[in-house]
Amino acid sequence: MENRPPANGQAQPPVLLSVQGLSLEYARRHAFRAKRTETHALRDVSFDLREGETLALVGPSGSGKSSLAKCLVLLETPSTGRILYRGTDILQLPPEARREVRGEMHLIFQDASTALNPRWTVTEIVREPLTIHSKGLSSAESTRLVIEALEQVELGANWHARRPRELSGGQRQRVALARALMLRPKLLILDEALASLDLSAQGQLGNLLLELQQRYAMSYLYVTHDMRMASVLAHHFAVLDGGRIVPRTLPTELIAGTLQPVS
Amino acid sequence: MLRVTRRFVHALVLLLGVSAISFALLSAAPGNVFDELRLNPQISPEAVAALKAQFGVDLPWPTRYAHWLASVLRGEFGYSVSYRCRVGTLLWPRARNTLLLTALATILAWMIAVPWGIVEALHRGRWLDRLGGGITAILLAIPELVLVLLLLWLAARTRWFPTGGMFSLGSAELTISRKAWDLAQHLILPVLALALGTAPFLIRYVRSAISAVLDAPFLQSARGFGIGTARIVYRHALPAAANSLISLLGFSIGALLSTSLLIEVVLSWPGLGPLMLEAMLARDTCVVMAVVMLSAVFLVLGNLIADLLLYWSDPRIRAV
Ligand SMILES: Nc1ncnc2c1ncn2[C@@H]1O[C@H](COP(=O)(O)OP(=O)(O)OP(=O)(O)O)[C@@H](O)[C@H]1O
Ligand SMILES: [Mg+2]
Repeated sequence: MENRPPANGQAQPPVLLSVQGLSLEYARRHAFRAKRTETHALRDVSFDLREGETLALVGPSGSGKSSLAKCLVLLETPSTGRILYRGTDILQLPPEARREVRGEMHLIFQDASTALNPRWTVTEIVREPLTIHSKGLSSAESTRLVIEALEQVELGANWHARRPRELSGGQRQRVALARALMLRPKLLILDEALASLDLSAQGQLGNLLLELQQRYAMSYLYVTHDMRMASVLAHHFAVLDGGRIVPRTLPTELIAGTLQPVS
Repeated sequence: MLRVTRRFVHALVLLLGVSAISFALLSAAPGNVFDELRLNPQISPEAVAALKAQFGVDLPWPTRYAHWLASVLRGEFGYSVSYRCRVGTLLWPRARNTLLLTALATILAWMIAVPWGIVEALHRGRWLDRLGGGITAILLAIPELVLVLLLLWLAARTRWFPTGGMFSLGSAELTISRKAWDLAQHLILPVLALALGTAPFLIRYVRSAISAVLDAPFLQSARGFGIGTARIVYRHALPAAANSLISLLGFSIGALLSTSLLIEVVLSWPGLGPLMLEAMLARDTCVVMAVVMLSAVFLVLGNLIADLLLYWSDPRIRAV
């Protein structure tokens, strides 16, 4: 389903991420029964995401959205299917190459408050990706990058020395976003990343996301309940239900984009 | 600083309590060193009576406790009837030997347990973890005494290291470096026995502490953007697990100490263990009291050290 016009005018940009026939089961062993119960979180999920475009993934609670996001960054291992990143199946990559790919995609967790190390300060948290993926940066330079990223999410100097529990939920979410931006990922997966923010903060970050996409040709997988925000950001929609991508027509006002853009 | 002072006062009160209770219990135990003297036909009943008066054994226990406390403050810890000297002079060299043993065993046990526990936690459910779990289970099941005897047997068979004591015969004439080498060889068996006896507990604990942190969502997310295992362990998991591990350190020092007393007796290590055993058999109350108190002091100190480390390592505690 199309919404925003294609990113590069008429020419189709190349496919960045292609998910093919992905299935994931969570197995639970019981203490006294030999039988294992399995939750089918994903069933034969396929979709493509092109460079510089945004795919909004919507679906009811428990439909497998977070599970899909975790599969993409290799935190869960799907039972079948392929995840092609620039044409190579990342599930088959050796550990070294996997790490390289991981530097290019970044998942912002649904619950940012648990995704940050509670003992670290904001600066330390945001700096961490640099320590692994861009070695050989001087400390002054990395400090500058950290401050820049924090400014982008509107976290000023007086927040830098705080620890996660001293921040509000929305501020934590912004720290997670700043950390994600550090590596200039090619693919950003946002799992309800803006859900805990108020409308104006959502608008600000939404604009930031649009701007970054334009500047760096980033691709977003935007997981959300919020159709309004999705309609502003996304070029395409996919609906997940019961672990399957379902063909479903969205409310017409969404497709037409007649809702007020968030400012 | 306030916290440190408070902990110190706590420790003092605790030690006072321990000493009063042990003193009362020892006084309540039937028989004393003079009963044994009375059985000796070479000592006249008058002499025994005079000695009893000198040591004040017939005074009520609170009075004797007060006397004993005063003596402790002078560093004397009372008078040993069977050794015929102040307990203090008896105690210090022995305490030093015991401390040497427990300190080395603590270091060795932790040096084994931390890497081992981490490796098990990282390989949870896989064969390496199962193998490690099996080995620790076996070690846990073997009583320390059997472990020492096994090592003793090994030492006797292979003659790789000495089977007891602290120095070889005639070591007094050796040069300092030779003496140190001799001591090191004598240390192998007791330190190994102590460390192997304690390490399994520590391994289990380290494994579960690290596993708990590894499951935390913030580490999932870190792994999600490609943070390597080494960094996950050293920068995230270890600091987060440090609190509980440091508390365990204090505890492990105490546990090692009590095991040490036993092992010293078996391996005739001239520490507090044999001293305590002899004193108990001879009903030499002051010596027993002194050893009990010293063990309690070590235990309290161990926990105090752990507490200070905790204070130093955790910014959240410092902030309070
Ligand atoms: N670690 C897990 N073990 C077992 N089952 C799980 C696990 N994580 C998720 N599930 C199950 O998998 C299904 C999909 O969960 P998922 O978290 O992907 O849903 P979601 O679409 O993100 O929902 P929400 O919108 O509420 O975040 C659910 O039925 C859930 O109970
Ligand atoms: Mg979810």
